[in-house]
Amino acid sequence: MSTATTDATFTHPALFYRSEAEYTDRTVAFVREGLAAGEPVAVAVPGPNLELVRAGLGTDARDVTFLDMTEAGRNPGRIIPGVLRAFADGHARAGVRVRIIGEPVWAGRSAAEYPACAQHEALINAAFAGRAATILCPYDEARLAADVLADALITHPTVVTAGGERVSEEYDWRAVVARYNEPLGRAPDADVLVFGPGELPEARRFAVERAASLGLTGRRLQDAELAVAELTTNSVVHGGGSGTVAVWSEAGQVVCEVRDAGRLTDPLAGRRPAEHGQIGGRGLLLVHYVADLVRIHTADEGTAVRFYLGL
Amino acid sequence: MDGTGATGGPPRIRSGALLDVGPLPGRPGIRASGEINVSTRLSWENALTELSRRHTDVSYVELSGVRFVDVAGVTALAVTAMNLPVGRVVVERPPPQLPRVLDLFWPSLHRIEVAPR
Repeated sequence: MSTATTDATFTHPALFYRSEAEYTDRTVAFVREGLAAGEPVAVAVPGPNLELVRAGLGTDARDVTFLDMTEAGRNPGRIIPGVLRAFADGHARAGVRVRIIGEPVWAGRSAAEYPACAQHEALINAAFAGRAATILCPYDEARLAADVLADALITHPTVVTAGGERVSEEYDWRAVVARYNEPLGRAPDADVLVFGPGELPEARRFAVERAASLGLTGRRLQDAELAVAELTTNSVVHGGGSGTVAVWSEAGQVVCEVRDAGRLTDPLAGRRPAEHGQIGGRGLLLVHYVADLVRIHTADEGTAVRFYLGL
Repeated sequence: MDGTGATGGPPRIRSGALLDVGPLPGRPGIRASGEINVSTRLSWENALTELSRRHTDVSYVELSGVRFVDVAGVTALAVTAMNLPVGRVVVERPPPQLPRVLDLFWPSLHRIEVAPR
């Protein structure tokens, strides 16, 4: 055995595939390569693709962690802390690389979801810089739009195609984070409340009443209350002391949005898993954990954070 | 950040929502009613500090009168419990945010036992 330490470089290839057979061949080979090297391996892809990998691996599947990305990664903002870092940190040992297949973008992601998907793919590069990990991200070349595939070349330093692996000349993840930092328009029928530092309970109650009147119930309503409380608290503490909360419904989901005068300067805010004994900094992380989607726009004029919860 | 401005940050925040917190009559621990949020966090944390100072085996935290607790409020309780040298904390009748946040961030924290509403 060599005493050399594991190469701590992060590798993040995109895999462009055109057929189920190609998908299965490539992903199974990638997993087997990891297993042969003694690496912990996780596969987080949409359900039908999960079955392709599982079937292709046969008995080797028992050594692999499988997650349905349409559930674990429904909200793209949850994938780094809740899926990728959760697996990588859980297997962090000296001298061990981890290997993950993560497929956050699939045909059927909505127009509201896609910008968060692209930003997530970009931010993986920041979140895993210097970590001993390989994360392969499959893209369905036959079904995804050309601009989605073009973005994948910007968010991944290398790309694997039928012709082999090559460096992506377009790689520039910060450009994608910036491009999808889009101004967010509110629904014209949104109910809006202005809150100040002494009005956090009122802001919370307003959001809960509106969300309930739009049909949100049970734990989802409780999650909306918690998430609004965290966002409005952030406004009071970090965002200039006041803000607005708005609630409306859109395509079967309730949307809650908090705006304030602050600016988010840390692109990984809310995407780092919390340390066990960490005191602060869990608010935005909680919003990512409970919501089906989180969209953020931040600029000198202020910040808007909105989250979506399915009815 | 807990908003109490340890680094000369934001000013103390005032709110209409109050927290009434104090020792639990007849048993080791504390009881609270009102809201545990950024406005009331200091008195909540002070009460937890007092709880851990007096803790021996089992301490009780009676929260039937608490309408809402935010993530930082649950975090303060979880960290207090984790730092106890022995025993456990029994949280009685907390608002629903408390078990939800514990489950999200500390799914197997054996030092806290929740007795639901």
